[in-house]
Amino acid sequence: MSFPQRKAAIVGVYNTKQARMLEGTPWTLALEAIQGALDDAGLKHSDIDGLSSMMYDASLTAQQMWVEQLGGRPMTYTSHGIAGALVTKAAAAIAAGLTNVVCIYFGNAGMRAGPSKQRAAQEQVPVVRKAPRVPDWDFNIHGAYMSAWYALWTRRYMDQFNAPYENLAEYPVIARYHATLNPASIMGERGEITVQDVIDSPMISSPLHRLDCSLDNDGGYAILVASAEVAKNCRKDPVWVLGGGEGIYTDFYMSFTNDWINDNGQSVRKASEIAFGNSGISRDEIDVTGMYDCFPITMARNIEEMGFCKLGEGHEFIKEGHLKLGGKLPTNTDGGMLSHSHCGNPSGMQVVEVVKQLRGECDARQVKDAKIGAVLSQGYAVHGVAGVAILGKD
Amino acid sequence: MTQPYLKPLPQRLPENEEFWAGLEAGEFRVPKCNNCGYWHWIPYPACRNCLSTDQAWTPTSGKGTVFSYTVVHRGPGGFRDDVPYVLAMVEFPEGPRNPIVLGTMVDVDPDAVHTGMPVKVVYEEIPGEGVTIWHFAPDS
Repeated sequence: MSFPQRKAAIVGVYNTKQARMLEGTPWTLALEAIQGALDDAGLKHSDIDGLSSMMYDASLTAQQMWVEQLGGRPMTYTSHGIAGALVTKAAAAIAAGLTNVVCIYFGNAGMRAGPSKQRAAQEQVPVVRKAPRVPDWDFNIHGAYMSAWYALWTRRYMDQFNAPYENLAEYPVIARYHATLNPASIMGERGEITVQDVIDSPMISSPLHRLDCSLDNDGGYAILVASAEVAKNCRKDPVWVLGGGEGIYTDFYMSFTNDWINDNGQSVRKASEIAFGNSGISRDEIDVTGMYDCFPITMARNIEEMGFCKLGEGHEFIKEGHLKLGGKLPTNTDGGMLSHSHCGNPSGMQVVEVVKQLRGECDARQVKDAKIGAVLSQGYAVHGVAGVAILGKD
Repeated sequence: MTQPYLKPLPQRLPENEEFWAGLEAGEFRVPKCNNCGYWHWIPYPACRNCLSTDQAWTPTSGKGTVFSYTVVHRGPGGFRDDVPYVLAMVEFPEGPRNPIVLGTMVDVDPDAVHTGMPVKVVYEEIPGEGVTIWHFAPDS
């Protein structure tokens, strides 16, 4: 089954400033991002007739309120999910004539995903002096949180494949190097780091140190996917959606499949196989990628499940430097979630960066002659949700 | 005076009553499908294997092995002052789709925890809260 070719393209992208504690609300940051993406494309808000929210409260009602915000006239398409999949589904919907211009949007202000969020809640506990009640299988009962979850996954991987921690700790070093070339990144101005710096940073949840962990900041972004008809009149060259896929599985960090890492693969494998299949693009043809990289283990598993290396070899692939600019699979050239931004639901920013790479807008971090890119968004129960989009320029 | 327990606790929903009552009785019960025999964690209203709703809360052996573990050095919320503490995922022997259950480990030297370590469920009644929660401890 082949994906409809040259029917839909990404025509506008925009990241707001990414920083800790930005002014505004999730709504105003998303709005700023949408306006930025419209300017990038040379489109007006009234051109948008499809919405894909990446906001956490993306209920149907919330989408309806955004329809009102963006012009107060009926739109013809809504969707939810994560960025790579939303780009793919928007392109498919455009090819099917359901919509012409789909806006994928996200904004976050004042929200924290990490332990600081729960600490803020804790500060209210002494007033109440009562244990908070949560759903019966909630991981908070056991003192788990995101970094601890990924620590559990990292440990399992290290034990199963005899993978040295030091190999995984090469990833934050690569991400920081990329960030030093990206003036918009949060951590770039702090300069490059070494594996020893990662090891010497405070232990958060063994074996993960602080420099293995994502940032936790505010920010917004927007992506516009449009029909070929619309794209030809846009300001910039179209970045075509050549194919893609989605995978969804497992609940919110409450249960695990057995076996966790297996030969059949889970959501990321499924989405990748569909995407490479329907795009007709081979893994060798990919010039640049953006992949969800909340912790080094995530990257190691990404490249295995996407088929860029074998199961259990992701840590060696990282160690060998292939993900770095100049390597055979330059990835997250903006600095990723460890050094550019993790604004709460950051996977759209991998799309933004790959689009900028394909347009040749990346200055010091530009991948020379990049023509075909791949995006992997994923999240929730460690590869529970996955979205892959294969993008290309003429 | 004892400090009140301020960490998150389960709501103890009516549909899970047999589970929480099981902990009070010193049993870790999970849904077992009467149709296909699969044991499940976390509980769902129907069997993941055959979709039968004929499941029964059935006591497990209460023993398992460490599937993975981490020593938490920065704890969230009420766990802030408990660091370092050990968080483990424990694989139960009840197959074929062996439950893997998350919990903290008690009565253990964090440096001694390792993947494959035999452990057992232990129970902690929370005073004044009407609920018993579970942890894991070495099974020697």
